[in-house]
Amino acid sequence: MATTSHDNPLRITPAGIELTTSNIAVDSKVPSWDQIEAELQRFEAEERHRLGLVEEELEQYVEEVPKEFTAAQREHTTLLIGGLTLAQDVLIGAALRGIGYKVRPLDVPDVEALHYGKEFGNRGQCNPTYFTVGNLVKHLIQLRDQKGMSSEEIIDNYLFLTAGACGPCRFGTYVTEYRKALRDAGFDGFRVLLFQQQGGLKQATGDKPGLDLSPKFFISLLKGIVAGDVLNAVGYRIRPYEVVPGATDRALDECKRLLIEALENKNSVILTLRKCRSLLDAVEVDRLQAKPKVTIIGEFWAMTTEGDGNYKLQRFLESEGAEVDIQLVTAWILYNIWEHVYDTKRRMKLRGADTGNFGLENTQPYYKLAGLFAAEKALRGVFQLFAKAIGMTHYHLADMDELATISHDYYRNELRGGEGHMEVGKLIQSVQKKKAHMVLSVKPFGCMPSSGVSDGIQSLIVKKFPEAIFCPVETSGDGAVNVQSRIQMFLFKARRKARTEFDDALAARSWTLEEARRRVPRRQQVATYYPEHDVAGTAANVLAELDAKKGRVWGWSALKRVAMTALSASW
Amino acid sequence: MARSNGSPIHHDGELVIGIDVGSTTVKAVVVDPNSLEILWSDYQRHETRQAEKCLELLTVIHDAFPGLRPEQVRAFITGSGAGPIAEPVGARFVQEVNAVTLAVEHLHPDVGSVVELGGQDAKIIIFIENPETGEKQAICSMNDKCASGTGATIDKCMIKVGMPSSELNKLTFDATKLHKVAAKCGVFAETDIVNLVKSGIPSPEIICSLADAIVTQNLSVLTRGNTLRHQVLLLGGPNTYLPFLQEAWRLRIPETWAERDYQYPKDKPLDEVIIVPENAQYYAAYGAVVYGLDEPGQKAKYRGLAGLEDFITHGRLDQLGNAAGPPLVGSMQELEAFRAKYEIPGFVSARFEPGQKVQAVIGLDGGSTSSKAVLLDPEGEVLAKAYKLSEGNPIQDMKDLLADLKDQVISQGAELEILGFGATGYAADVLEESVKADANIVETVAHMMSAVHYFGEIDVICDIGGQDIKVLFMQNGDIKNFRLSNQCSAGNGMLLQAMADQFGVPLKEYAATAFRATLSPTFSYGCAVFLDTDRVNFQKEGYAKEELLAGLAMVLPKNVWQYVVQIPRMAELGTRFVLQGGTQYNLAAVKAQVDYISERVPGAQVFVHPHTGEAGAIGAGLETLRLVLRRGESTFIGLDAAIDLTYTTRNDEETRCDFCANTCSRTFIDTRTPQGDSSRYIAGFSCEKGTVESRDAMVKLVKRRKELKKQYVNLAEYEARLAFKSFHEPKPLPEAGTPIEDTEVKLNILGKIKRVPLWRGFRRSDSEAAEKRQSIRIGIPRVLNLYSTAPLFRTYFEALGIQTKNVVFSETTGEEMWKEGAKYGSVDPCFPSKVVQSHIHNLLFRKHTDSKPLNYIFFPSMTHIPTFVKNTMDNAACPIVSGSPCVTSASFTKEKDYFAERRIGYVFDAITLEEPLLLRRQMFEMWGERLGVTEDESDFAMNQAWEAMRLFDEEMERRGMEVLEQIERENKVALLLLGRPYHLDPGLNHGLLEEFQAQGYAVLTIRSIPKDEAWLGRWFREELETGKIPNPLDINDVWPENYSANSVQKVWATKFAARHPNIGVIDLSSFKCGHDAPVYGLIDSIIKAGKTPYMALHDIDANKPSGSMKIRVKTFTHTLRRFEDELADKAQRMSELERRMLERRRQLLQVRRDALIEQVKDDCRLQLELAEMETAFVEYLEEDEEIKGMRLARTDEVGVKRVATLRDDISPAAPYVKILELAADRVAKRVEAKPANQNKTSQKVRLYPPEPPVVEVEPGIESNP
Repeated sequence: MATTSHDNPLRITPAGIELTTSNIAVDSKVPSWDQIEAELQRFEAEERHRLGLVEEELEQYVEEVPKEFTAAQREHTTLLIGGLTLAQDVLIGAALRGIGYKVRPLDVPDVEALHYGKEFGNRGQCNPTYFTVGNLVKHLIQLRDQKGMSSEEIIDNYLFLTAGACGPCRFGTYVTEYRKALRDAGFDGFRVLLFQQQGGLKQATGDKPGLDLSPKFFISLLKGIVAGDVLNAVGYRIRPYEVVPGATDRALDECKRLLIEALENKNSVILTLRKCRSLLDAVEVDRLQAKPKVTIIGEFWAMTTEGDGNYKLQRFLESEGAEVDIQLVTAWILYNIWEHVYDTKRRMKLRGADTGNFGLENTQPYYKLAGLFAAEKALRGVFQLFAKAIGMTHYHLADMDELATISHDYYRNELRGGEGHMEVGKLIQSVQKKKAHMVLSVKPFGCMPSSGVSDGIQSLIVKKFPEAIFCPVETSGDGAVNVQSRIQMFLFKARRKARTEFDDALAARSWTLEEARRRVPRRQQVATYYPEHDVAGTAANVLAELDAKKGRVWGWSALKRVAMTALSASW
Repeated sequence: MARSNGSPIHHDGELVIGIDVGSTTVKAVVVDPNSLEILWSDYQRHETRQAEKCLELLTVIHDAFPGLRPEQVRAFITGSGAGPIAEPVGARFVQEVNAVTLAVEHLHPDVGSVVELGGQDAKIIIFIENPETGEKQAICSMNDKCASGTGATIDKCMIKVGMPSSELNKLTFDATKLHKVAAKCGVFAETDIVNLVKSGIPSPEIICSLADAIVTQNLSVLTRGNTLRHQVLLLGGPNTYLPFLQEAWRLRIPETWAERDYQYPKDKPLDEVIIVPENAQYYAAYGAVVYGLDEPGQKAKYRGLAGLEDFITHGRLDQLGNAAGPPLVGSMQELEAFRAKYEIPGFVSARFEPGQKVQAVIGLDGGSTSSKAVLLDPEGEVLAKAYKLSEGNPIQDMKDLLADLKDQVISQGAELEILGFGATGYAADVLEESVKADANIVETVAHMMSAVHYFGEIDVICDIGGQDIKVLFMQNGDIKNFRLSNQCSAGNGMLLQAMADQFGVPLKEYAATAFRATLSPTFSYGCAVFLDTDRVNFQKEGYAKEELLAGLAMVLPKNVWQYVVQIPRMAELGTRFVLQGGTQYNLAAVKAQVDYISERVPGAQVFVHPHTGEAGAIGAGLETLRLVLRRGESTFIGLDAAIDLTYTTRNDEETRCDFCANTCSRTFIDTRTPQGDSSRYIAGFSCEKGTVESRDAMVKLVKRRKELKKQYVNLAEYEARLAFKSFHEPKPLPEAGTPIEDTEVKLNILGKIKRVPLWRGFRRSDSEAAEKRQSIRIGIPRVLNLYSTAPLFRTYFEALGIQTKNVVFSETTGEEMWKEGAKYGSVDPCFPSKVVQSHIHNLLFRKHTDSKPLNYIFFPSMTHIPTFVKNTMDNAACPIVSGSPCVTSASFTKEKDYFAERRIGYVFDAITLEEPLLLRRQMFEMWGERLGVTEDESDFAMNQAWEAMRLFDEEMERRGMEVLEQIERENKVALLLLGRPYHLDPGLNHGLLEEFQAQGYAVLTIRSIPKDEAWLGRWFREELETGKIPNPLDINDVWPENYSANSVQKVWATKFAARHPNIGVIDLSSFKCGHDAPVYGLIDSIIKAGKTPYMALHDIDANKPSGSMKIRVKTFTHTLRRFEDELADKAQRMSELERRMLERRRQLLQVRRDALIEQVKDDCRLQLELAEMETAFVEYLEEDEEIKGMRLARTDEVGVKRVATLRDDISPAAPYVKILELAADRVAKRVEAKPANQNKTSQKVRLYPPEPPVVEVEPGIESNP
């Protein structure tokens, strides 16, 4: 006799109520509850089939976010990096190799990358997304199709390391785009790492995270970025005035090689930069050419990249006879520091602390400010050390408070995304301080903070400062002709302005060009030398500096040199 | 200016040649450098052979100046195509705007501004005098990419309208009969033009509307908010050759001057103030010369003809280098094989015997560019076809097509009996009315029916017509889902034709020409205007026409699959593809498609419809057959009556609709059959009111609409109203001295912030300030995120004593309002942020009056907005939206401070709604002094404001719950609007939701979805149980980069829709929306997984894309009906299953009961226990049975109650047999009471996880013996 026995006659289970027979011995003629249930289940399945109700399980969408990178994987994992200037990408790569990572910088994104980005990305993105996302996909496809690696091998042995953002423009969603494009291109599971996502990994895996976000890591990163910045800045100052075409680029290539070697072998960057200075000084220059100086501002990526993403804008301007004043990545980091300082100061005296990303709950504002102050000073210090080492004179990193103050009336400082108020501030500063003949604002087609907001306000600024030559252009990756033609249109005016400025400077001193040329002392004829700012044009500034005949405080210089030498060993 | 007339010119000195290589023509001038006199000039269309045409012109110059030596000549070249030619000619390149500016400065020193419309671009130059230096500065602006194709757009639209150029020259501008045309983008404009043509609007009116739209667009956007200075010079081809365009400028420019109080010489005739100079086409070439001569030390070294000849022979291919892509066909064999498989055999009409009686139906497709008709026999076979390019009137087109078909049969001596008539396409509505068509079906359904007829089981249908791309995904022989090109990807079929036209290649020879190419340029896919820009670029690089045609054909599949369909893994769609639509006659397009699909879909079978151009007409015919067979009769007025139909088209003041402020211009098409029956079709209205003529009819209509609204609520409309209403009465401000808790902020010696709580009295402002506040009026624009936050601000002001009537919002976005205020902006972002200027204008010029002045306009720059979604990275607002107040400030203070002029304070500081404490401070900083309130008062008002926000949510959720309960009960579908807050604005959603409401669908908004976590738990059970998300309001399982508040809410709502079986989704997104773009793919994936009915209308802009909306509404309604049928059908089957299960359970229970009774009949204790158990089981059965796939309305309380009742009911003394009998009876009754098709739980038919289990049991039950 089959019996079932339970403690209680009624049992409530997740499946419903179950009746059990506690004290009743049921004989085998009585079908047990289990048998009845089994029969009902069989019957249900049969009926469902008959009625066409066979279940199709709805599996709701879940986005897989692969990001596991452990210390044990470091050995066989290559970090792909990219997104800044050519020099910075290779120097950051070398710096990270120097501290034990396998790193491979991606090529500068080109039109092919754009096509990949468009094929696998969402519609309606801005083109930095297409270019950068497409560039990664392109590289992986090359690894697969040209190097014969399987997708699994690529996924296991490579990952992409990038900086994250938290909006409010589309930059914050790049990672979403990376995942979508990689999935659709057949690299589902490929890791895209953001620095800040690495924190919780240890708890999840029990292993140390692959990215050791120690001070050493950030110092290496900083060295790469700042060294790249000074190399770029000095290059853009020399190239327009070189006498032998191509000489600057050849010297810069050699500088890059030396710096890579130094960073990989953890040698002093400062000493290497001093070697670079000698290489660059060997380039023959003629600074008494009245060239229009064009400051490039705009959206960060569009103004920084040196490839098809902005139609190789910097080189195009130089080929049209302009001197280009670029924005440095260091300045961008300073802006990020400024944002934190501003936001903290704004909130620290409230009656309580709000939550959220910006609220100061669980934060000690003064300690935070002290940290930010130290970070800013350190960054400026490293930059000036490197700049001095390569011989770059009279370079002033922007004063972020000043930029914020002069733009606030037009562009509220609390508004973020892209360059925030900086574009407006830079234009005002450029005109007020005669920093350039022309301001070229480059942004991707439909860039939200730049095309949608800054440009709207710039039209007022231009009205307020009619002497400004301001040229906003949108890039989309195609249609280079229209963009270049538009730039030429404004450059024409800038060129005239530069020429007039130089002619006036000559006339004011009653010099001829030849006479002026004779007056320039030898030390001002070396390539890394750059005259102090007086007006926009470099040639006119050379003349102004001849007037000034500033004396040198030798003691102070000697002291600085000693300090530099001491720092050289560690940096 | 001198023109070339063939006679030789003798000139001994230096000569300067100026060449302008534009997008369509090459112009050249020869100038004397000393006098700057033009000695010779000529221009030619280059048909993409720029280098060859330049050589030709230079040769003529050499002939015209006998004995000309290169060293005697300097040359300057300008224009978009000049780049590669400059070097071979030895000419210096000059940027064209500079060239034009210089020419103007030289030839017209008094001019104040220049408006030049070219083939691809538009430029405005305004000369402004620097008051300090007296120097003239030229402010130049050019159109952005989207508006390019200015001249080209006019050309294309002319083709659509079909007006001969001889008539164009005579046309005068008439501003009294203008219709809506979007000139923002060439493709948008074309779409509107097609709609106007199809509505029977007379050609002159369409052309004038286009001209007006172009002029207005340029004045509102291209001027970047600047006012044109007089005198205005109109330059460029269209301005020069189209008198009506000149007149449009002469009307609109002075209007802007009047609006802005700009002083111009009113005594002069307008054509002397707005001038069209003669020979303006040479200005760029001439200006290049002036420019060149002005540049010292930049001497160009003219190389004569040899350099250019050499470039043409060798240089071009070298230049293309490796950048080119592969050709369309690799080899002749490949081409042969392809042709053999895909070439559509020519159609041979059926032959008839004299006297034969032919029975047939007619299907007609009134397409965008052409109309097609077919004659189908009762088996659906095509007997004859007719085709004609649309001539502007759909009735005339129909008459011609029917006559053609009739003739094809009658001419063979046969008789024709028409069994029925059906129509599809743009013209279907007017034909349904005028000839009483049997069938009027939407194009998508027509195409589907036709494809299924020929190919049976298929997975994907891809139809590419002149204007639209339609891709239909099939399941069980019907449309499962669909994608239609939006405005930005439209016009692709037409583009191939336009491109062929530009190169002088007949469309029939497109494929043969493209197949000849040995390489191709790689176009970037996307909008037709962008493609045209690419084309200009490639031409400049030196690609030949066959290469360009090949490249363009190859970009078509990318546009279809990457841009419109957006599914990169095509293999998921299936393997059987049908290509149809007129474009498939072009084998180059077919080849590109077949290659693209085959590369991506293993085992793909691609079919081309045998009657590819007539697929729609055949579908209409097949549907007619089905309907006529079912009804047994036809409604069609008859073939002869249709052919002999007379019609009149009227569009004047009398036909204008005056039932609302929009006063739409309508067209009445009156038809009359030979028998004298007449009917009227009304076109051109923008809302339903336009469909009637009399006031009575309108009243009836409104009444009907109201009833419908009650039945199927539109919560979008309700939310949009509620947001700006005063619905919460704030508490009065506390008396002065009322104790309140405050915090003192201190800084200790270590830099630590200390906050010390303290009690003190409430501080009040004085009565004078309070009295002043009584009269203060504050205007707030009804835009952007104010649609989700307005109650906060309204209540804040009301709590501070501002009168309810003095918190004034601008009006809802409307056509007139947009037009009126749209001329101040300097940027061209998405429409929702661009329309802000019109709202501010509305406040400044309409809401602010002398008698009722506004004191302030409040438009806060909101950086963060509140959201209900949990655990997000941030709650940021879109940067354009938060920056709009700053941009608006710039726009209205640039030329003149309109706020100061009206003594209105414009308050636009930044605030964050995410940090309540900071927000309090920010609001006080903004309003403390302005309103004379204390910080305590301001803080108190903020508390009241947040309460209003809570009530706003609560009310919306209550209404949402009502809708959800109703649809669940009735097995209906409701539509959830996925959009950003401002998509509630009817001016922005173009009334799309009302269209669905009229079809019988309730509309839900994101805010109206109940956010009660317990209630939501049932939809998110699996994720919560598996720990994917800790809270149903969390979206980290699908999108970790969730910082943009409105996008985050869209994604959450999509997740909800994917889980709720009775919800369909309408996804709205504005053109250029940068925050929607990253979630397109994500929303798609969620929707796909949830199998939710989905319709997207992306790239919405200022213009209402009526045609495209109509197709979407009709197709989506078709999908929804099918979905509802499935719901009902499945509910019925579930009910059947439940009945069968109950029956079976009863049988089994009966068996067990009988067996047990037999066993326990002698044991009382056992009897009682058994009875108890049996009763419990019966009770259990009486509850809603949990069958997988069915939703149960059970809640925890019910579960508890069930057990409790059981205990009370059972009496130990009750005789067991009675209880058992009772139990058996109840089961039996329950089975009887449940017929197969009436089941109270049957509304739930989609499969989803069952309710959370009942786990709570009253204490003591488990231990009860």
